[in-house]
Amino acid sequence: MSMGFSANMSFIRRAFRKSKPKVISVSTHQNTWRDYALILVPYLWMILFFLLPFLIIFKISLSVTQIAIPPYSPIVTFEEGAMQIILHLENYTNIFTDPEGTYWRSYLKSIEVAFFSTFFCLIIGYPLAWALATSKPAIRNVVFMLIIMPSWTSFVVRIYAWMTIMKKDGLINDLLIHFGIIDSPITMLQTDFAVYVGIVYCYLPYMVLPLFSALMKVDYSLIEAAYDLGCKPVKTFFTTLVPQTKSGIVAGSMLVFIPALGEYVIPELLGGKGSILIGRVLWQEFFNNRDWPLASAVAITMLLILTIPIIWFYKIERKEQEGAYGK
Amino acid sequence: MASKSNIARFIIILLALGFLYLPIATLIVYSFNESKMVTIWTGFSFKWYVALFNNSQIIHAVGISLLVAFLTACASVVIGTLAAFVLVRVRKFKGESAFVLFMTAPMILPEVITGLALLLLFVTLGDFIPLFSDRGVFAIWIAHVTFCSAYTTVVVRSRFRELDISIEEAAMDLGAGPIKVFFAIILPAIMPAEVAAFLLSFTMSMDDLVITSFIAGPDSTTLPMVVFSSVRRGLSPEINALATIIVLIVSIFTFFAWLSMVRKQKRMAADAAKAKKATKLEEQGTLYNHQ
Amino acid sequence: MEKTPLNTAKGTDKTINKVQHRPGDLPGQKPSPAEQNRRPILEIKKLNKTFETFKAVDDVDLTLYEGEIFALLGSSGCGKSTLLRMLAGFEKPSSGSILLDGKEIIGVPPYKRPVNMMFQSYALFPYMTVKQNIAFGLKQDKIPKAELEERVEKMLKLVHMENYVDRKPYQLSGGQKQRVALARSLAKEPRVLLLDEPMGALDKKLREQMRLELVDIINAVGVTCLMVTHDQEEAMTMADRIAIMDRGEFIQIGGPREIYENPNCRFCAEFIGSVNIFDCTLLSSNKQHSLIKANDFNNNIELEHDIDLADGMPLTIAIRPEKIYISKEDPQQDTNICEGVVENIAYLGDISIYYVRLLSGRLISATLPNVDRFKQGLPTWDDKVYLSWDPESCIALTI
Repeated sequence: MSMGFSANMSFIRRAFRKSKPKVISVSTHQNTWRDYALILVPYLWMILFFLLPFLIIFKISLSVTQIAIPPYSPIVTFEEGAMQIILHLENYTNIFTDPEGTYWRSYLKSIEVAFFSTFFCLIIGYPLAWALATSKPAIRNVVFMLIIMPSWTSFVVRIYAWMTIMKKDGLINDLLIHFGIIDSPITMLQTDFAVYVGIVYCYLPYMVLPLFSALMKVDYSLIEAAYDLGCKPVKTFFTTLVPQTKSGIVAGSMLVFIPALGEYVIPELLGGKGSILIGRVLWQEFFNNRDWPLASAVAITMLLILTIPIIWFYKIERKEQEGAYGK
Repeated sequence: MASKSNIARFIIILLALGFLYLPIATLIVYSFNESKMVTIWTGFSFKWYVALFNNSQIIHAVGISLLVAFLTACASVVIGTLAAFVLVRVRKFKGESAFVLFMTAPMILPEVITGLALLLLFVTLGDFIPLFSDRGVFAIWIAHVTFCSAYTTVVVRSRFRELDISIEEAAMDLGAGPIKVFFAIILPAIMPAEVAAFLLSFTMSMDDLVITSFIAGPDSTTLPMVVFSSVRRGLSPEINALATIIVLIVSIFTFFAWLSMVRKQKRMAADAAKAKKATKLEEQGTLYNHQ
Repeated sequence: MEKTPLNTAKGTDKTINKVQHRPGDLPGQKPSPAEQNRRPILEIKKLNKTFETFKAVDDVDLTLYEGEIFALLGSSGCGKSTLLRMLAGFEKPSSGSILLDGKEIIGVPPYKRPVNMMFQSYALFPYMTVKQNIAFGLKQDKIPKAELEERVEKMLKLVHMENYVDRKPYQLSGGQKQRVALARSLAKEPRVLLLDEPMGALDKKLREQMRLELVDIINAVGVTCLMVTHDQEEAMTMADRIAIMDRGEFIQIGGPREIYENPNCRFCAEFIGSVNIFDCTLLSSNKQHSLIKANDFNNNIELEHDIDLADGMPLTIAIRPEKIYISKEDPQQDTNICEGVVENIAYLGDISIYYVRLLSGRLISATLPNVDRFKQGLPTWDDKVYLSWDPESCIALTI
């Protein structure tokens, strides 16, 4: 769950540093065999444990399930000395032509949930980031710590906390009844509402941090200039603040949208039977139906959907890094 | 005008902190509730803490989680530091952008994808290396190091970038070889980032549920997995007790982090004051005894 | 430390005052190192450095003599820093050779070269005290503790930092940081001391103070010193010899006075100080006498030496503003004179700069020292003035 956390750490660093370091010497040294040896360790690790797995997923998504160990058909077989390659595309066609539409519906539902969660995070996160960026440094530091601290505690436990609060006889219903706002308890758990609350609660810091870092760099004299030239507050906000914090808005939104799309735990614990999101589908195909090839195909399709947001995120990140350090 | 925006700031921050801490506060309060009904207060009691410590399944899982988290933090700090060094100090090399992608992708990809990918890898590798196929602590460790390294890389790299390379060159110029330069000059400078990276990967490894669920075999259940399955079965006051302990530990660490930050700022202010005084004396020409 | 300072000879150069006002023989100029029979310590031969397609250092030859302070002067990107970094070992030359005491040092890693560098940012180790910073280099050489203490002590005394041994870099003023950096790079008694923009991180007032003190310390130690700077004043005050660098090449090497008074090309004349440049044609030239026609005014320019050029060929005459006399009355001379109107006056306190528009439209600058506090009758805005100069003030340049 703690996706993007330290992407944020770098945002924080950048934001908290008062000014750029005075001397940035660009390394001009020539690479030696020693450098390549150093590159090799992390590179090999990532190729072995990150790139290779995706090739394997792709491979398995092209086979079919069978009762065996491992539970999928081999792609390459040897029959009478001849090599045979059998590629099955059923899994992919299944996803889109399944008569009940479970799969493509859950993709759409996931995109919808991720989109609105991102939107809610943004409209809650922006004022918070603004409040943080414009407070006194001493207050800022404390509040900042307090905003991140929950994400260091257990993720499941935090979702569990919402379960206790949103239950029929939970704190919220108790309070509402106590103050006479409602007569009988409302059902909140196992609704989309609960899923949104859970996602916003858990991902809010990842939205706030890049926004905060962008807002720290804003040239506030532009706002004064806009006011001075007779611009109204709302228009000023959209013409000065929003363009200046665009990188923070995009980065924060991607940090929420991308992991939220594949979220499994929150819909599983807070969502109803109806909110079948794609993360849950993948999980069920894998754990309950033990259909590994189908689960792989679901994962590959999800990756394809995520390509555009991921590329967008990298572009913004890269720009930020280059802007900050000029490598 | 200023006071208006001050009030706005105050309200926004108050609401946000309320939203973030209300659930946590309820958990803590009800962890001392005597009743098994999680939300009905019947009286103060430590009984759920006692029950928690008698729950051998949870204690066992805590042991596994701590072990994995510690090993993960150690390894991912090393890999992250190497990767950060490579990214900042080594000149452009072939496949650098692929390298950056590999190092950062685990941070943003949905965990179900990463988890599935790693499991399928281990199943495949298990055919050749049995260590992978038993899906125990070793396999979990590999998986955790893979996604934690992404984070440690970013944390260490951002500190690395702020280092003035001429300090390293100065050390080299004065006769220190590359290894000596790393341990005597670079390491002390990036130490705060190393500590932060260690703690970060420790907590992330402790907290990971989805990836671990894919990887872990029946004998190596980690703490989040136990909590998850117990929560899925229904509300359990023991979890409240556990949550309270976790929050307590995290707050202690956060407090010390904050304290060290405040101290560092004070120290920096004191240093700056000394430097300023020296600068003033220097301008007057009375700084050095010979003048 | 207690070596005899080799560079005491400020003004002991009476021997070379043979003929006045001839190019090459300048009063007040130190004798060149070769004339002093000094031993060459560093020889750079045909050194090249290419970054991808960009030639940073282009076929440079240079010999450094024992005990001299040599400055590489040039604007940023001229290759001076790259040259310095090649000497320190941080850059690998593309071709050429660097001989230190006759031995090739290309390929020797920086940590094994008997050369130390003072960095522009000082690059002090932030986690070490003043003392630990200075001792760092000696520790790498595994010098016994007693000797190390003694040498560090000596360095502290040399730079007057004895009272600040336990301070950390963040607690020091700019000047103090520089002193520590200098002590640290001198502690190992390097064969050559490299200074990268030594005053670059100081503010203006302190810079002027530190220049001479730095020279005193370097001379007291007797170390050979190669410095890189973009600040001509700094190079002129500190260095015995200066090389002007542009686009990776040396344009001129010489003493401060020589490069100012006798620039060998238009680039050098314009680079050091300010100068008025006139495009001219040579009318006639013999051993004692050359007559030149300037495009910008009617009267001719007259020099008292020959110019090695065919009559009728174009050439450039450079005249420094401080060598031009400005007067309201006609000084009654036929050559080396022109007239114009004062367009602007910049009063700088010590001097005033007059910008005079000639009839041709050219703007000429001439300076007037403000010797008398309340002098009356000076030329003012829109006055018609005469600009004149001595024949020896003109620098004839063919390139």
